[in-house]
Amino acid sequence: MSASLAPECNEVKERYDTCFLKWYSEKYLRSNGKTDDNECANLFKDYQKCLKVVLKEKGIDKLIDEAREDTKENDALYIKRK
Amino acid sequence: MVLTHTTNHSYSHPFPTVTLAFFLRYYSPQLNPFSAHVLSTDTIASHVDPDTGRLHTTRLHLKRSRMPAAVVKLLPTSITGGGGDKSSFVLEESVVDINEGWMTTQSRNLNFTGVLSVTEQQHYSVTPPAQPGVEVSPLSPSLPRSMPTNTYVTTTFSYRSSLGSRKEKVAAESEDAPPRRFGSWVTGWGAKRIQGSIESIASNKTEDQLSKSRDGMRLVLERLRTNGVVATLRELRRREGKAMFDA
Repeated sequence: MSASLAPECNEVKERYDTCFLKWYSEKYLRSNGKTDDNECANLFKDYQKCLKVVLKEKGIDKLIDEAREDTKENDALYIKRK
Repeated sequence: MVLTHTTNHSYSHPFPTVTLAFFLRYYSPQLNPFSAHVLSTDTIASHVDPDTGRLHTTRLHLKRSRMPAAVVKLLPTSITGGGGDKSSFVLEESVVDINEGWMTTQSRNLNFTGVLSVTEQQHYSVTPPAQPGVEVSPLSPSLPRSMPTNTYVTTTFSYRSSLGSRKEKVAAESEDAPPRRFGSWVTGWGAKRIQGSIESIASNKTEDQLSKSRDGMRLVLERLRTNGVVATLRELRRREGKAMFDA
């Protein structure tokens, strides 16, 4: 099982990953996208609460925000081209 | 300057399985021995767009020595921090459209960007990439129930070194970072030459990296074909001596 960047988040991350993969393979792929992932939402919230602390401590949250801003601009172009 | 490198590849597995393998490829070195360099993987965003049904996912990976050793050798220890092993954060963003049968992914490094920015873009599709000069009929809006058995992927790597460039210097001066940041030790033509070397060394490593990542994907795909995802996860957890969570 892949580890979390924050060892203290490993357990909740595993629970979320398992939930996500099950949802993805059994629901999302079979419903042609006509499903939401609410069933993993609570686990995701707990996982993020744990992870955000560490991302902030290490200053990675800022790097991520900058990078995602960039992508949004590129995506807009890419999706228009499609 | 930016060096790019584009290749096409196909997997003899249906599209939904390939997307699943994409999400699982760093799950465990037991599943994919080529993922041993991945130290951690975290999902930081995931949602289904209610209008399009597309799944948007953002993950953060920590990978060991993303920077080729030859690049590290070109740089003074004040930049690399000395020592052998480097690890870098890679941000991976993906969009899956299961209705139209495509997935796009983009991964790039978050640190060491002052030395080298590597971006990997992939486009997975149920239809082969368009060949120049060959007419391709547009994808029908709704796919037939039976998914094609092959999945095509186009991968583009872009390498850009901004070492010592003006932009980097301005950025360095405007931040509260220590005055001698990446790049301040090299400027002008020298910088251009070193940038070029860094880009080409990194680019030359691409074939090797790509073939390893394909081998990894193939192993995950084979496992999924034989066992399916739930059995695969259960088996991995059993080997790690843990109970399966009820999802």
